[in-house]
Amino acid sequence: MNEQIELPSYLEQSPEVAARFQRIQARPEVLKVANMGRVFDSNKGPVQALNDINFSVRRREFVCVIGQSGCGKSTLIRILAGLDQPTSGQVLCDGEPVTGPGKDRGMVFQGYTLFPWLTVKQNVMFGPAMEGRKGQAAESEALQWIEMVGLEKFAESYPSELSGGMKQRVAIARAMANQPRILLMDEPFGALDAQTRAQMQQHLLQIWRAVDATILFITHDLDEAVLLADRILVLGANPSRVQEVIEVPVPRPRTLDQCLSPSFLATKKRLEELIHPQTERKASFKIPRLVAADDDVL
Amino acid sequence: MSKRTKPREPWFAVGKPLSGYQAAIPMALSFVIPILIWCFAAYAPFLWHVDYRITMTSEPSDKEAFPATYVVDDTMEESFFESFQDSIRQDNKILKEQREAGTVEVASARAGRRANQKVLKNFEPVMRANGWFTTEKTEENVSAYFKAYFAATYETWGKLAAGELKPASGTLSRENLAIVKDNWALLSSVSPTYDSGNFLSEPIYRLIPEGKKVVGRPAYLPAPHEVVVRGWQDFRGESELGELNVWEKYASSLRVVISGFLLCVLIGIPLALLAGTFSFFARLFEPFTDFFRYMPAPAFGTVLMAIFGVDQQPKIALVFLGTFPQLILMVANTTRLLEQPMLDAAQTLGARKGQLVWRVVVPGILPSLYNDLRILLGWAWTWLVVAELIGTKSGLTEIIDTQGRRFHFDHVYPIILLIGLTGFLTDQVLANLRDIFFPWATEGKKSPLARLFRWVGSRVQAWRDVDPPVAPVTVEASTEGESHP
Repeated sequence: MNEQIELPSYLEQSPEVAARFQRIQARPEVLKVANMGRVFDSNKGPVQALNDINFSVRRREFVCVIGQSGCGKSTLIRILAGLDQPTSGQVLCDGEPVTGPGKDRGMVFQGYTLFPWLTVKQNVMFGPAMEGRKGQAAESEALQWIEMVGLEKFAESYPSELSGGMKQRVAIARAMANQPRILLMDEPFGALDAQTRAQMQQHLLQIWRAVDATILFITHDLDEAVLLADRILVLGANPSRVQEVIEVPVPRPRTLDQCLSPSFLATKKRLEELIHPQTERKASFKIPRLVAADDDVL
Repeated sequence: MSKRTKPREPWFAVGKPLSGYQAAIPMALSFVIPILIWCFAAYAPFLWHVDYRITMTSEPSDKEAFPATYVVDDTMEESFFESFQDSIRQDNKILKEQREAGTVEVASARAGRRANQKVLKNFEPVMRANGWFTTEKTEENVSAYFKAYFAATYETWGKLAAGELKPASGTLSRENLAIVKDNWALLSSVSPTYDSGNFLSEPIYRLIPEGKKVVGRPAYLPAPHEVVVRGWQDFRGESELGELNVWEKYASSLRVVISGFLLCVLIGIPLALLAGTFSFFARLFEPFTDFFRYMPAPAFGTVLMAIFGVDQQPKIALVFLGTFPQLILMVANTTRLLEQPMLDAAQTLGARKGQLVWRVVVPGILPSLYNDLRILLGWAWTWLVVAELIGTKSGLTEIIDTQGRRFHFDHVYPIILLIGLTGFLTDQVLANLRDIFFPWATEGKKSPLARLFRWVGSRVQAWRDVDPPVAPVTVEASTEGESHP
């Protein structure tokens, strides 16, 4: 699919980036979405939320899904998680069709979904406990994940004692403790302030490099998508479908300094064009002038 | 003068909580103000007319103005009491004038003696108040009693006239003491001791009625001090409640309310959890429950008696019936309020249906459920009062009802206060315990009880950690503080 799409010239990949994509191509597909669509019934008749979605995510790949609000990003990820069912097509995880939620697909939500009655450690141990894994071994394993997100001092704290960023770090550790085949992240940093969000992005990249993780990450923040992703799926609205797949030409490891590199800016510019087409950007509001002519600052 | 370390906080700031003593003062006032209103209503002299309660009576000759005979402890309005006194003074004045003019009339010796004996009898409250005469009158000793009384009074009057005895203050007015002296002069001229055969038939002066000022409050408004005193007596079993022992009745009430409530909780919570979790059970249970709760539970009182008899069971059933529909709807709703994303998250972590209920829904709603139960316990107390009136009256309501019907509201209010205090204190204790049961559910300041509990816990922890001073101590310290890096 995506390999057939021709890259625009300004998204030219450097030899090392191209080599990296070739390595990824050789890996098995963890998640495959085939001709998937979702229709909702509403008062005004059926609404096509998603239409003919096709893509796949390979092992250890970092894929971002980007699109305007209301384009069905959340519906897509809920279907991938098994919390919602497609009305056409199917989702395959490791070749098996997805029929419901399962521990092979971990998820980090936009809101805070930690269990407030459990401590950080108990939260992280929740997944293993569901399949009966308890005791010393499970506990030390959980502590390892907590250490991975840098919260070992807060292992015995309750979620209400943590800041927003810390809660999301626990949520990541909790999802990873199940060792899912793919980690689904639904705008996990959307509620955080800019400073914390930048820290969390770096932190997530470090975790992703350190462990065997495949990540599908939903965001509406273009910088975030370019900074994190190998490939970016751009969802277009009305009808919702994969509008374009961009292979990000920015070399890894990525840092905040690269936000100003030509390849980064070129990718971001391309995304900008896709998400906010020219016509839309030109549309302006009629704003009445309320300042005197001689008071003009321009 | 110490420097102000905190900025002055305004008493009235929109949407801002008060702190420290600023919060404590209105909290104290919220109780003090109602009590002050009660005191004001009960004691303010201008709200209610002043009455006199007679402590010593007399018989005016003006039968037209005073047709009735007034006895000790009768109360009358102030103006009437004054005219009552004046009427006697007038009688005495006329008698004195007649005596000086030598025109004292004696209808018959017998009638005259009888009238004079009445004057002596009216003096009895003074004799008793001073302890000068203590014999009790019984059915057998009537004639001996009066003989003894008259003899004692003769002796007393003699001593009073000679100044050998002095009445305790407030027991005899100066005016009446003067009358006693005048009378003694008359009586002793015939015989210095009482002798029914040799007794003055010429009229003596009448004693001026004496009385105590009392506030003429309506029966439903006993004064605070009366209620306190009466309550103290009732609770110690020292008053005239008769067969009714407050604490026995209290225990009976508690048994009914707790049995009804526990029964309700045991049956209701599983059903409500089902209804809150599965839409199927919500549709199955809730429409009828919603309808049923509009049928007042007391309306089933007679039905319950027909089913369960007249003992305690129908009362427990009524508390159950009144509380149960509320519990189902309230707890089901609480269960539904659990955030859906939390259930989503649990499912993506591999939780199956049963695990979702037991590991997520139940622990997740426990703090709210606990609060619901506190409110429902209040409902149970409300139904209790109605329940205790059906069948044979029982519990505290029996006291309230029997005393209330006799307008003994000074007995009624302590019982109502007891019920109120029980409910209030139970709720306060439960509210405090919530912080201990669910430390994760309270944000910010913990309740005093929970802080004490936590402090004891940390002391025990510290004491146990003394032996091996290991690393976890630092972890403990960091969980104590709530600051974020």
